[in-house]
Amino acid sequence: MSPILQGIITIIVGVGGCVGYFYAANLFLDKVLFPARGPNAGRNINRANMVRPWVFLFPAVFALGLYLMYPVVGSFVRSLYDRSGNDFVGAGNYVRLFNNPDFRQAFFNNILWALVVPAVTTFMGLLIAQLTDRLSWGNIAKSIIFMPMAISFVGASLIWKFVYAQDPDLGIINAIRASFGGAPLDPLQIPFWNNFLLMVILIWIQTGFAMVILSAALRGVPEETIEAAIIDGANPFQVFFKIKVPQIIGTIVVVWTTITILVLKVFDIVYTMTGGNYGTEILPSFMMDFMFRDDGQATAVAFVIMLVVLPVMIWNIVQARKEMR
Amino acid sequence: MKTIYLASAAALAFSASGALADGHVSHVFPVGEGAFNWDSYNAYADAFDLSGQELTITGPWTGADAELVNSVIDYFESATGATVQYSGSDNFEQDIVIATQAGSAPNIAVFPQPGLMTDLASRGALTPLAPETADWVRDNYAAGDSWVSLGTAAGPEGEEALYGFFYKVDLKSLVWYSPEAFEEAGYDVPETMEELLALNDQIVADGETPWCIGLGSGGATGWPATDWVEDLMLRTQSPEVYDAWVSNEMPFDAPEVVNAIETFGTFARNEDYVNGGVEAVASTDFRESPLGLFSFPPECYMHRQASFIPTFFPEDAEADFFYFPAYEGEDLGSPVLGAGTLFGITDDSEAAQAFMAFLQTEISHEVWMAQSGFLTPHQGVNAELFGSDTLRQMNEILLDATTFRFDASDLMPSEIGQGIFWSGMVDYVGGEDAASVAGRIQDRWSEIQ
Repeated sequence: MSPILQGIITIIVGVGGCVGYFYAANLFLDKVLFPARGPNAGRNINRANMVRPWVFLFPAVFALGLYLMYPVVGSFVRSLYDRSGNDFVGAGNYVRLFNNPDFRQAFFNNILWALVVPAVTTFMGLLIAQLTDRLSWGNIAKSIIFMPMAISFVGASLIWKFVYAQDPDLGIINAIRASFGGAPLDPLQIPFWNNFLLMVILIWIQTGFAMVILSAALRGVPEETIEAAIIDGANPFQVFFKIKVPQIIGTIVVVWTTITILVLKVFDIVYTMTGGNYGTEILPSFMMDFMFRDDGQATAVAFVIMLVVLPVMIWNIVQARKEMR
Repeated sequence: MKTIYLASAAALAFSASGALADGHVSHVFPVGEGAFNWDSYNAYADAFDLSGQELTITGPWTGADAELVNSVIDYFESATGATVQYSGSDNFEQDIVIATQAGSAPNIAVFPQPGLMTDLASRGALTPLAPETADWVRDNYAAGDSWVSLGTAAGPEGEEALYGFFYKVDLKSLVWYSPEAFEEAGYDVPETMEELLALNDQIVADGETPWCIGLGSGGATGWPATDWVEDLMLRTQSPEVYDAWVSNEMPFDAPEVVNAIETFGTFARNEDYVNGGVEAVASTDFRESPLGLFSFPPECYMHRQASFIPTFFPEDAEADFFYFPAYEGEDLGSPVLGAGTLFGITDDSEAAQAFMAFLQTEISHEVWMAQSGFLTPHQGVNAELFGSDTLRQMNEILLDATTFRFDASDLMPSEIGQGIFWSGMVDYVGGEDAASVAGRIQDRWSEIQ
């Protein structure tokens, strides 16, 4: 069977199955379980309405439980056992991790990523959103800045590999150096600073996302407040920082936290660009080093990542719900 | 290439005329033609009938290699009537672990190195090969004993058995060069390590660069350096020391190992010896590294790499190789470093056992030999059939080896051999001290024992 045909059949079966489930469940509830007829019609309608949300929620809850909650619990249990999974070692894996200088390096780098990337991305996004608002060709500029969003992390990494290439004929950095008579160097091998060169890739990808969301938020700022500020003699900077930004602070936080969560999951950039060498290891790529070899260590790293993400995630959800209201 | 084309054209004509017994299998080389050992094929076909049975095989070969292995499998299918499903994966090492844990293992798995096979055997995921296999390997393979011991592992209960059958071998102790460039510059192929070192200095004196070395390989960056260190281990220490290093009886930070790493450093960490300078060693992709041999003027003159590398040479490249020589002063013979793929049974069936027997027929080796990128220690095959002179000469090196040793990093636990050994070598080339790199690797190894 050709893959296209397989895909189409899968979609038909999947979508049809979903519709079928809801339709059949609804029918069963109304006609068989609590029919709106007979002596208890009123009570039955009430009961059916009590049960209905749960029937509709069930597939989502079941899938989330099976594919999200169960693996989290399972991973945690696995991280308490040794590499073969036979002997209980308690917190042994975690103790080993924190004694491992490579892990500490990865942890430090990850914190660096989590601080720098969301901050720079949100700031750039906000700046571009504000500046392109008044331009006649602002929409074209926005489209161009948004484009990298469509590129996969690995694809983007390969593009930037050329930017950072050591060959002055390819790499922009070395081409500039060469024009000043400098010898070619490999930017990715400069300790500590190479981390920032990798962050640039993610910033390049994500700025468009931040820009689009924040641009929409800026448009939502009531004109009256801006007019009032201008009449009161506020200069453009004051208008922007004291009138506009406070009104969209909720959106800024959501964008910021969303990107932070993304940063803590990124591993493909590091994997493609440096393979975690030259001191650029971050937690997810560090986890990959142990996967399928020492699953006790790997799940322990996974759990550390989760603990780091969790507070950011909760903050993100709380803010997003506030925005909804 | 032309012969393949003609052969497949002939095969097409054949199948079109309906001369094949079963129309769905087309052979690369029509049965009964050429210098192949068709007797082994016919004898095998008479002995096995698996009509209607199915066999699944997974392995690391994708793309062109997958086509090649399928061309061999075709003969198994036509001989037995079984249907074989081969699927290759670039993440084979991870996929097979998941598949065995999930209980969805294929009948046969093709392991790129013994380390993973040993690991799975100890978990009880493999079925030992038929008892007579070990004797067959001893009798028919050059250096048969070493192939048996490499394929032997301890099962879940700790009992030793032969779990892996070697089929398709790679040779690593090779130095590639462009004969044209050598002739132009008036260099001779070095026969001893002393001559090679003299050649290094001569090339530098001529204002040129002797070596192209590239360690880049994405997440596996650093592995080419491990081959260098292993080759130099075999050229500076006895095979027994090498074995002790592989099994960690001798610690990784022993002076013998540190010395081998530092010997590699005399090549790779010498700014004048490597194309692009030391910094380029770690960042150049191993696939792009040899291109410097064929540029004009040459960016470098030599490239130490395994037998597979011509796949990445430019189309029209005139390349040749010589054996990475041993020190005359060391008296260690001519050691050869190699690697190979092993077939193991992950889900036993009659067809799986029959396929293992098929790999013992001459024809199963000859079909791949006659195409490309295949070396074999099987002594019964017709060497005339090799697809190129290059392959034939490599196979001679393989059969002439006084010492054959398997790639050490492939034998070490994967956390070492496919992990910290790689990244450690990158750190070493980046300027870290050999002893401290070796110390870190040993620390990790002590941790997992």
